Amino acid sequence: MNNRPELERGSVFGDVEKFRYADSTADTLTNIKINIKKGEIIGVMGRTGSGKTSLLMLLNGLIPHFYEGEFKGNVISNTMNTQRYRVQTLSRFIGMVLQDAETQIFSLTVDKDVAFGPSNLAFDRDKIRNAVTFSLEAVGLKGYESRMTTGLSGGEKQRVAIAGVLAMEPEILVLDEPTSELDPKGKLEIYELLNKLRQKRDVTIIISGHDSEEMLHYVDRLMVMENGKIVWEGKPEKLFTDITLTKNLGICPPEITEIGKLLSNGDKETLYLTVSECVADLTKKLKLSSTPIDNKATNYNSNSPIIIETNNLCYSYDKKSSVLKNINIKIHMGEFVALIGKNGAGKTTFSKHLNGLLRPTNGKIFINGRDAFNINTAELSKTVGYVFQNPDHQIFAASVKEEIEYGLKAYGFDEEEREKRVKNVLRFVGMENYEERHPFSLGKGERQKLAVSSILAMTPQILVIDEPTTGQDWEGALKMMSLLKELHAKGHTIITITHNMRLAADYADRVIVFADGQVVLDDAPANIFKQTDILNKYFITPPQSVLVAQNLKPFGIMDNLLTVNELVENIKSKLN
Amino acid sequence: MLIEYYPINTQLHKLDVRTKLFGFLAITIIAFIFLSPVINFFLVLISLLMLIWAKAPIKRLNLVIKPLIPIFIIMLVITGFTYSPSAFESEFNRNILFYLLPDMGAPFTVGGFQLGLTLVMRILTMVLASSVITFTTQIEDILQLFKKMKMPYQLAFVITTGIRFIPTMQKKAEMIQEAQITRGAEIGTGGMIKRIKSFIPILIPMIVNSLRMSDNLAVAMLNRGFGAMKTSTDLEEIKMTTKDYVISIIIMIILVSAIWARNKNVGVL
Ligand SMILES: Nc1ncnc2c1ncn2[C@@H]1O[C@H](COP(=O)(O)OP(=O)(O)OP(=O)(O)O)[C@@H](O)[C@H]1O
Ligand SMILES: [Mg+2]
Repeated sequence: MNNRPELERGSVFGDVEKFRYADSTADTLTNIKINIKKGEIIGVMGRTGSGKTSLLMLLNGLIPHFYEGEFKGNVISNTMNTQRYRVQTLSRFIGMVLQDAETQIFSLTVDKDVAFGPSNLAFDRDKIRNAVTFSLEAVGLKGYESRMTTGLSGGEKQRVAIAGVLAMEPEILVLDEPTSELDPKGKLEIYELLNKLRQKRDVTIIISGHDSEEMLHYVDRLMVMENGKIVWEGKPEKLFTDITLTKNLGICPPEITEIGKLLSNGDKETLYLTVSECVADLTKKLKLSSTPIDNKATNYNSNSPIIIETNNLCYSYDKKSSVLKNINIKIHMGEFVALIGKNGAGKTTFSKHLNGLLRPTNGKIFINGRDAFNINTAELSKTVGYVFQNPDHQIFAASVKEEIEYGLKAYGFDEEEREKRVKNVLRFVGMENYEERHPFSLGKGERQKLAVSSILAMTPQILVIDEPTTGQDWEGALKMMSLLKELHAKGHTIITITHNMRLAADYADRVIVFADGQVVLDDAPANIFKQTDILNKYFITPPQSVLVAQNLKPFGIMDNLLTVNELVENIKSKLN
Repeated sequence: MLIEYYPINTQLHKLDVRTKLFGFLAITIIAFIFLSPVINFFLVLISLLMLIWAKAPIKRLNLVIKPLIPIFIIMLVITGFTYSPSAFESEFNRNILFYLLPDMGAPFTVGGFQLGLTLVMRILTMVLASSVITFTTQIEDILQLFKKMKMPYQLAFVITTGIRFIPTMQKKAEMIQEAQITRGAEIGTGGMIKRIKSFIPILIPMIVNSLRMSDNLAVAMLNRGFGAMKTSTDLEEIKMTTKDYVISIIIMIILVSAIWARNKNVGVL
């Protein structure tokens, strides 16, 4: 050990009294102290807007070099004072995966894009080729080498962005919410990868995100941010076993620690960190049941009229390979459907057919009984509202009001009606008095709500929302989901895509699993999530409470329970 | 950027970027030294054949060429009227097709009309020939050429970001259009005027966005080490093969004979 630890390679030291963006009126970061040793894995958590991205941008000099403002302090990354080196020089040692995957992709094909970094660093050709192969394989994109980057799904783009930085072989790897659009297994694989990088190459890793369950297992230390300060720092198990504190910091506790907490009675705390720990403990406490019950959940309501029906729907982007293969789905009025599945499985492609943004290359789709082929999107959008995967893809106006009014104008509503609707919808999503704000001055969660509002204002009967909670913090995600629930209660049909299995389990009354362009499962959530082995094949991990229930089936625990509370109630009733 | 590069393996894709640029230069010179529409028509034909040979999606050119049609017509009319018969050497071209005004006012000459045709074909040649280059050459190769020409780093940065920015903007424009369509806008239907009108609402957000986007692009590039070292590695070295030299020599011969022919007064009007 060096007696000046900041001079050890791979370490990060920072003491930043304050940083304020040039056009901001309040300090974005205050009193930040960073002390990260080589080979550590650090998790950064906190609400959206708490300053996670700004904190990470300190580490590679983007602050203060690129984002100028009032900066007071010093950051020493990999023995280099970030103020004295250019960002591109620092990038040789400190790799950073930025939050927005799309802006980081430059080249036409996937392999060229991943090679961009290492060629800038003048690696020799063989080394670049190896780095590209290694990185693509590491992020699960083997075989994607010559794919065009413009034709990738959201999650695939995020993987390319990660591979692009990996290929530069950084000594310190900083990742800003790198898993927000990944499928459950993909997310786990990224954390596995980080762990391996640390073990094999002693890479220092700093990762931000909202993945409590993975953070609990893979990071050595958590930093929790609030209002630009690091308000909590320590081992993840310490935070997550304190459910109240976790929730107060705006973080979703892992289901498993919550189950432990809820099962504790007064003086005796039960602490579970993994599903197997929990199952082992409860196995000891529960009595074997003579009659394990196979609980089939009631099927989703299917008496109401069919409003969407597809008939052997097929789609291909390029005539060569088909992305959707013979999709047959009937959706009834008033359902709340969640579409889930691996990245690139075809969820977005399918949902774009519902309002005619894409037209089937083969097969048919009927909306309200009418063949949608001959109805244009403008017309269809009166019935089917579509919210894009990324709110920034759909926001274009200069103010919140203008944004919401756009569709209303297109439909020819008069000014009075428009005013009324704008007010109503903003009240509904909890964004009163935001009319005149510029959309890009809003936080990500608010932009997402704006995107939904702009569609809601037109009161479509069917609402299709692609990944409404991506990149949102826990509270934001819950708010968005309860918004959808409220709309559902009002009689709207909701179709939403999500990678958050917990939300799918808790909110939807029907889950459709996509795999490789096909519908492989379609049932009530309880019936879907108990098929653990099959789901694993489709890159889906059920919520932890479902896994616990599965394992405790021999003890008479019902296996059609979806929420933590239902499960805990059931276990408690058996314990007594 | 008329037709974006697409990785397939035709003979044209395999040629060196320098050969292709030389060919482009030659065809441009030839187009500009000859006034005859017949010769220029052949140039259009050659460029078109090359595009077909490169397996380019020719239909996409409609997007560029269609809006140019009114301009072409205006050019034909203007040149027809502005050149008086005395401007031409051959009798045929001094012929007057008709007069716009009574008493032999504003004559419309055959020569002027032919000149108009030539101008139109020149533009077509430029559009088609540059499409051959953009469709068959990767940006990386062009940048490598700049580097070989010892272009200063800052300039290369500006050009690179510029080149990379265009597809980003295009994508953004498409997204905004999609967003507007999903909110009931009827875009891409109706007549020309309606189409142009429906494009205006995209323009404003595009301009607002472009600043933000160019900032983001610069951050992302620095972040990937752009400009970190004095040199960078090119995955594939651009290389002149025997074929490239042979073709370049042929282009040279054609160019020299064209200039020679021009000096012998071939292809004047
Ligand atoms: N514009 C496009 N051109 C060509 N191929 C495309 C295009 N968009 C998507 N694809 C491909 O089609 C497949 C399905 O993509 P889609 O976007 O529907 O996936 P997804 O299920 O929504 O994934 P994600 O969870 O990552 O959003 C993927 O393999 C993707 O690479
Ligand atoms: Mg998608």
